[in-house]
Amino acid sequence: MDNCGKATLSRKCDRKQKRCQHIIEKETGIKCTLMASKCIAICNAGLVNGLSEETVYENFIQYGSIDNITMLPGKSCCFVRYKDIEAATRAFDNINGKLNIAQNSKPIYLTYVENIPSPDPIYQNTLPTGLIIIEDFVTDTEENMLLELCNFNELENGSMKHRQVRHFGYEFRYDINNVDKDKPLKEDIPHQCDILWEKLKLEGIDFVPDQLTVNCYKPGQGIPPHIDTHSAFEDPIISLSLGSSVVMNFKNEDVNIPVILPKRSLAIMSSESRYAWLHGITPRKLDIIPTQNDLSVIHRTTRVSYTFRKVRKGECDCQYTQYCDSHAKKLKSKSNSIKNDVAMQLETAHVYDVYDVIALHFSDTRCKPWPNVMKFLYSLQPGSILVDVGCGNGKYLRCIENVFSVGCDRSFGLAEVAGQRGFEVFSCNCLNIPIRDNSADGCISIAVIHHLANEERRLQAIKEMARILKVGGKCLIYVWARDQIRNQEKTFYLKQDRKNRKESSTAVQEQSPENVTVTGDVTLPVHVNRTQFQDQDLLVPWKLRAENTPDNKENTFLRFYHVFEEGELEALCSQLDYIKIVKHYYDQGNWCCIFEKIKKD
Amino acid sequence: MLTSKCMKGVNIGYPLKIKAVDLKESEVDFNPDFISRIIPKLDWTVLISAANSIGKNENLPENLLPEYEKNTEFLKRVHHVLLEIDVVNGELICPESGRKFPINNGIPNMILNEDEV
Ligand SMILES: [Zn+2]
Repeated sequence: MDNCGKATLSRKCDRKQKRCQHIIEKETGIKCTLMASKCIAICNAGLVNGLSEETVYENFIQYGSIDNITMLPGKSCCFVRYKDIEAATRAFDNINGKLNIAQNSKPIYLTYVENIPSPDPIYQNTLPTGLIIIEDFVTDTEENMLLELCNFNELENGSMKHRQVRHFGYEFRYDINNVDKDKPLKEDIPHQCDILWEKLKLEGIDFVPDQLTVNCYKPGQGIPPHIDTHSAFEDPIISLSLGSSVVMNFKNEDVNIPVILPKRSLAIMSSESRYAWLHGITPRKLDIIPTQNDLSVIHRTTRVSYTFRKVRKGECDCQYTQYCDSHAKKLKSKSNSIKNDVAMQLETAHVYDVYDVIALHFSDTRCKPWPNVMKFLYSLQPGSILVDVGCGNGKYLRCIENVFSVGCDRSFGLAEVAGQRGFEVFSCNCLNIPIRDNSADGCISIAVIHHLANEERRLQAIKEMARILKVGGKCLIYVWARDQIRNQEKTFYLKQDRKNRKESSTAVQEQSPENVTVTGDVTLPVHVNRTQFQDQDLLVPWKLRAENTPDNKENTFLRFYHVFEEGELEALCSQLDYIKIVKHYYDQGNWCCIFEKIKKD
Repeated sequence: MLTSKCMKGVNIGYPLKIKAVDLKESEVDFNPDFISRIIPKLDWTVLISAANSIGKNENLPENLLPEYEKNTEFLKRVHHVLLEIDVVNGELICPESGRKFPINNGIPNMILNEDEV
């Protein structure tokens, strides 16, 4: 290059520098200086221009030891501090205006600065609450043994843009962000991992997972920040780093904590760190972490992480509700469901009042006990106390000798019918059963809680039955199923229709339902008797022939029903941790569940 | 066994006091084995005071007899009080709140108003 060219370049630099120095001072408060200093600012490129800390590091490290790189979010400048002025001068002379790493491969322009912005307070030494890193959790030998368990296909590598993944126990589905809880994989967690639980026990942690995800990260690959779906997994989640160390970023609101996961270490994410902090790995080839007076740099090699989790049964009830999918679901179902006061009016008008009127006729049609209910009653020990919640005409009371049976029903009409048959009955609402805690050996509730108009009330009824049971006592619940055709066979309910009985196919005619406004702003469809249910919340007609009505006129009464989907009754019961589901089954158009009380609530 | 515990502000609500207007006595088959299995599940003092309050003590002792399962005469009396006497009309009274639950046609009405739960 000739002298003239040099002069041009220098003038251009000067002009650029002047303009940029002004901006730096204005934007960051950092004073620029003409004197050589340990600190250098890149005036025209920063995070907003796509310049990465990694690129700055790789280019500047060639001229000497760096003790800090500061990239400011949202700024088009950044700062490098060398350990000595000589290194800084070398870098300045070689890079200024010559290194094309600014936007669109333009050269970057430098200036000396008096100091660099103080390290961001977000870079703390403290870990997120609940996060524990156990270094050297496995030995080199164990590391190799575990790495050999899960060989990733080398052929796929090279073109692989994303990390490779394998699942054991259950598959984690990234499309739904959850696991298929009903479909365990054939491949369990390899038994070689058992050594890990033994080691954990020594640390005082009792954890045996049933799901394993193995991720293979080549240098440059990462995983976007995320919180593991609450409803999918329990607390804690543990992750073993093999092959390479890496920096994992934990983020909560505006706090960002880079955490080094050394190779052979175990990260335990529990409580807040599991439920409320996003964690992710930035896709890059090296990690740079500013420490007190230095930079720590990790050159990534291939890292394999073993993440062990325990699949959650039921819903999450953590306190970190804003991050909780279970909580969101609950809120949504609450806002969609019938409000409590309306539910009460609906139940009064379309359940209790109806049963009071149709009690006698209804009772005449309900004589035959169901065999599977009888089976449950026969399983009770002699001398047991049995409560029939919603006993109707009392057909299950005193079915069996040697059991002291009490029945209750919200309908006076039905309770009276049962009372006249000589049974021990009282009337009450199943939401508040006037029986002492832990006093019944057995409890049945046959075709009752499907009359309650929202989920909160149906759960409350189950809670009441669980409350009155003794520990070890069992309860049987029957509810009407939405699905009246199982295994290609129509239920008795559908067969009762003569038309359906003749048809050989299982197709049941669909008729569009009529809608009725029941109370307030709630409109419900009226079910066409002897057909499949079209909705979950609906009104089912009960026809009373003229001779059965007080005024000798034929009349149709509408009863409210919530027909249950498959798994719905179980899901309700499994919300209570003091009961254990013994059995659940489908019986002639009903979903049925037997649970046992395992501890006091 | 009935309790008014479900009411707001009532913690125990047991035993409920019984006020009988009409009583009915009926005959139920005597099953000594059944009665002796039920007895340990009863709160004996509560049974006695309940029987007293409706004037049908049948000479039941204040304390449970030892080896009652061999005492057929005793079991018969318990059987009678437990199973053969019904309060047809009257009321159950919560010992704490004084709330009365009417008994009509032998059926106690324990339904609470919305503001009571
Ligand atoms: Zn949660």
